[in-house]
Amino acid sequence: MFKNRERVIRLKAELEKIKKETLHKLEQLTTMEELQDLKVKVMGKKGSLTALLKQMGTLSPEERPKMGQIINELRGKLEQAWEEKAKQLEQIALAARLEGEKIDISLPGCWLPKGHQHPLSKVIEEIEDIFLGMGFTIAEGPEIETDYYNFEALNLPKDHPARDMQDSFFITEDILLRTQTSPVQVRTMEKMKPQLPVKIIAPGKVFRHDDDATHSPMFHQVEGLLVDKGIRMSDLKGILLYFSRQMFGESREIRLRPSFFPFTEPSAEVDVSCMLCGGDGCRLCKYTGWIEILGSGMVHPRVLEMGGYNPKEVTGFAFGMGVERIAMLKYGIEDMRLLFDNDIRFLKQF
Amino acid sequence: MRVSIEWLKQYLKIEQTPEELAEILTRGGIEVGGVEYLNKGIKNVIIGEIKTINAHPNAQKLQVCTVDIGSEELTIVTGADNILVGDKVPVAVPGAELPGGKIIETADLRGVESQGMLCSEKELELEFVGLDRSKGGILILYPDAEVGTPLVDYLGLDNYVLELELYPNRPDCMSMVNVARELGTLLGKKPNFAEWLQTDEPIWPTDVKQKINIENPELSWRYSALLVEDVVIGPSPRWMRNRLRAAGIRPINNVVDITNYCMLETGQPLHAFDRDKLKGTVRVRLAQEGEKLVTLDGVERQLDNSMLVIADDSGPIALAGVMGGLDTEVTASTKRILFESAHFAGASIRRTSRKLGLRSESSSRFEKGVDPHGTVTTLVRVAELLLELEAGVPMSFVEHKVYLPPQTVIEFSRERVNAVLGVDYSKQEVERVLESLNFDYEHRPDGKYIVHIPSYRQDLKIEEDMIEEIARINGYDRIPTTLPQGVQTQGRRTPEQELRRKIRHTLVKAGMNEIVTYSFVKKENDDLWGLRGMNIPILNPLREELGVMRTSLIPGLLETAARNAARRNLDLLLFEMGSVYWQHELPLKNLPQEKTLIAGLAQGQSPRHWLVPQIKFDFYFVKGILNQLELACGLEFTYTPLKNDRYQGLLHPGRSAEIHVAGEYLGFIGEIFPQLDAKLGLERPVLFELDFDVLYKNCKTTLVAKSYPRFPAIQRDLALVVAQNVASEAIKNRILELGGDLLQEVEIFDVYQGRPIPEGHKSLAFSLRYQSPERTLTDEEVNNLNSNILASIQEEFGAEWRK
Repeated sequence: MFKNRERVIRLKAELEKIKKETLHKLEQLTTMEELQDLKVKVMGKKGSLTALLKQMGTLSPEERPKMGQIINELRGKLEQAWEEKAKQLEQIALAARLEGEKIDISLPGCWLPKGHQHPLSKVIEEIEDIFLGMGFTIAEGPEIETDYYNFEALNLPKDHPARDMQDSFFITEDILLRTQTSPVQVRTMEKMKPQLPVKIIAPGKVFRHDDDATHSPMFHQVEGLLVDKGIRMSDLKGILLYFSRQMFGESREIRLRPSFFPFTEPSAEVDVSCMLCGGDGCRLCKYTGWIEILGSGMVHPRVLEMGGYNPKEVTGFAFGMGVERIAMLKYGIEDMRLLFDNDIRFLKQF
Repeated sequence: MRVSIEWLKQYLKIEQTPEELAEILTRGGIEVGGVEYLNKGIKNVIIGEIKTINAHPNAQKLQVCTVDIGSEELTIVTGADNILVGDKVPVAVPGAELPGGKIIETADLRGVESQGMLCSEKELELEFVGLDRSKGGILILYPDAEVGTPLVDYLGLDNYVLELELYPNRPDCMSMVNVARELGTLLGKKPNFAEWLQTDEPIWPTDVKQKINIENPELSWRYSALLVEDVVIGPSPRWMRNRLRAAGIRPINNVVDITNYCMLETGQPLHAFDRDKLKGTVRVRLAQEGEKLVTLDGVERQLDNSMLVIADDSGPIALAGVMGGLDTEVTASTKRILFESAHFAGASIRRTSRKLGLRSESSSRFEKGVDPHGTVTTLVRVAELLLELEAGVPMSFVEHKVYLPPQTVIEFSRERVNAVLGVDYSKQEVERVLESLNFDYEHRPDGKYIVHIPSYRQDLKIEEDMIEEIARINGYDRIPTTLPQGVQTQGRRTPEQELRRKIRHTLVKAGMNEIVTYSFVKKENDDLWGLRGMNIPILNPLREELGVMRTSLIPGLLETAARNAARRNLDLLLFEMGSVYWQHELPLKNLPQEKTLIAGLAQGQSPRHWLVPQIKFDFYFVKGILNQLELACGLEFTYTPLKNDRYQGLLHPGRSAEIHVAGEYLGFIGEIFPQLDAKLGLERPVLFELDFDVLYKNCKTTLVAKSYPRFPAIQRDLALVVAQNVASEAIKNRILELGGDLLQEVEIFDVYQGRPIPEGHKSLAFSLRYQSPERTLTDEEVNNLNSNILASIQEEFGAEWRK
């Protein structure tokens, strides 16, 4: 009886010792391996706690369950401690890894280098998209043109003084580089008659005998034409206001000034309120608040006739804008020649 | 046209500032390009008279003058030697200011005190002011200059000039009277005109001796002449000189000044002939081939039978409407004058003036159209001024009148005005415009307006012209903004336009930068790269280097690359899509063929990067870009060695290929021929050029998506050593064939030459991907298939397996 009691006491002491030692070691250790080792030393097949369990057989049947409970409690406690320690170690390891994997975020990134679209073709696409959205289609015509389409069909007979407005490059007496995209007007009407509406824009290259900071011997225009029953000059104003706001910003206003083109009557020059100062006056708009962007008007009855439409039945408006000018305004380019210089550093901005 | 405000005020009461007038005119359709103040900064410059001129005691090149400026006599030192005692000169008295801000003070000049300075035209920034003797020295004023008067007052410099930039439809505004009419309309004021303007009837007896004959009535409708005797040539009065100068015309003498003044006033060009130098009948006729005429500027002109001249019995005496002849010029000794006031057809004058490269105030008016109804009116004004200036006595008149166009009558309705403009103008609003224009009109019971257009408004011919008048005078701002009411349409690009856009975007995505170059190039360059002899020459090129229309995009690309390389932009990926022009006949009778080509140039390498290795922009890089185009167009290109002779000597024969699609020639790719690149400062650029039409014709616009098996794929690599000249693609294609349905994909992943591969050989490594749509393949069957392939390839290509 006494012996039994002594054993119990000794067992308890040993349990206490294992507990103290294990918890102490647990606190000291710093790696997962050490943790694993310790676990084996205590709980493994030859572990200290396992060894104690084996001694349970020597206890009296009354003591055995009590002792068992104590050992199980200890076991539970240790396992919890292990788990906590394992979590702690994982955290430390993760922190160490994160620290070790730190990169120099100031180094430049890398990407697949993309190319750049020319500002002129970019602006043309933008203009096209705006008018496509309003139901216009895109028409085209030849860049080498006959005198007939470039001038005569546009109400500019030979020796008309208005021909002086455009110095031409000639191929023969009757064939020239088109000086405007307007010949596409008559070409399109001829093709479409008698269908209505004729609703097109015609972007393209044009050529004039000129070369300085604001003129290039080759440049681009976008022509517009809408012929239908009941087209009014107020419609022209409406369409161009919508275009200007899409192109230059929602708060833009436009204003029309009387002008002259042989193929429109009435004719109007169109100004848009300055995109830089909003109309208050600045260097860009030469302190007027307005910037001229295009020429326009109601299609001249002679031109409708030459296109095969009856001016008593239909009316129409037409307009023409310089793409270079719009690109220069949009991107703040001061010298038109930069657009044809094709310096790769310049082009890569777009 | 330069419009002096001082002159304008003769006709109209003006309260606005010159800037306000400019704005009103511009918004009304007469564009004012600038407003000029004639005094460029002259202050306290007084007219003085030279009293004495003495040598400077200490300086050989200086003179000491005493100058009377009315209030006192000043001693002034000058270096000029063109002055004489009695000359009237501008004196900058102490405290005076000259243009540019220079202040004049009393100064000691080599021991003599100079109380101010005598000024030259240049120092005063003036033109056409003094006597001929002023050239290169002190400005010597006309004798009518009053001593003590400020120079600014005397020359009428406290005045503004509006510079009109007229559209070709408003030549009427090349006349002060008509500018006053226009401005009157815009201001709602009636101008005041003298009586002479109302008449076009001669008030003199017909001259019995002088005959006038228009021989080409299609080119001249009317020739009126005023014959003047007792002519006294002298300077014109100061007011006339000042107005001429403000208009930019140099005063000459009273007679010439009157012709110019009246032209400015009415727009009708005039010419004065010395009648004593005329021989017989004055004829208006075309010149005969080979005739010559020395014009007023002293140049001998070769005439041809397209040029209208004024001739007498001895031959041409003037280029009609352009310039007079030297022989019949009015000189200081002229006693009798024939003043010509005629109509000439604009087109003819324009042609003559262009052919001779000779423009004048007269030709620029005739070209654009002069009112044929005003010839006599202007002569009436000439006569009035001759008498006023005591320059001569108008005696008689003679005229040949062939034709005068009837007055234009335009019919229009208010309904149509409102329908075309999208406005709702009332009867009053329409009529107010007609009244402010001073047009006679009737309002018919059927609602139509019948407007009688005055002859000076030749631009108004049809109803639409009246619609514009009503719109602009009421102001374009009154037109509202609306949207078209018709059928709604859908806008979309044509498939062709869509493909062009897609190609452009694909190339940009692939790293290429788009350029836009001129469509005209240097002939030699186009001959080299384009279709030799098919380029179209421009008759009047801007420069010789821009002499022909391009037949290829390559010259423009090379030139762009060279320009970039010269700026040390050495790494280039460029492309252009644009038209080239091919002619099949010369000279052109029909429009030439315009083709869209796509061309590119690559040289150098990708930017250096700390992480990504640099990629060389070589043949394979460019081919890779073309591969992306193939994908975008749904096409497969085939590359074969170059057969096209056109590129012999231009492309590296071992590094170039012809590209075909569906058996059709599409274009080429290739490295430039050695040494050609160095000439341009380039290094081994790779070029390509493709025909858009061929791409468009063959492209697949619809995409049918393939589905892929979900069973796992098995990959095997195969490395082979073959002779260097074996095309890798041939092996690849054969492997695909041998692999049958189960072999899904073959890629070349390594190419190697050099040790230990024997000389003249290369090692090619292929990766083969096997996959079945129905089941998971076993290693065994793949191994079998793979070794069968290997065996065949070894045999067929003399390949060796590299384990």
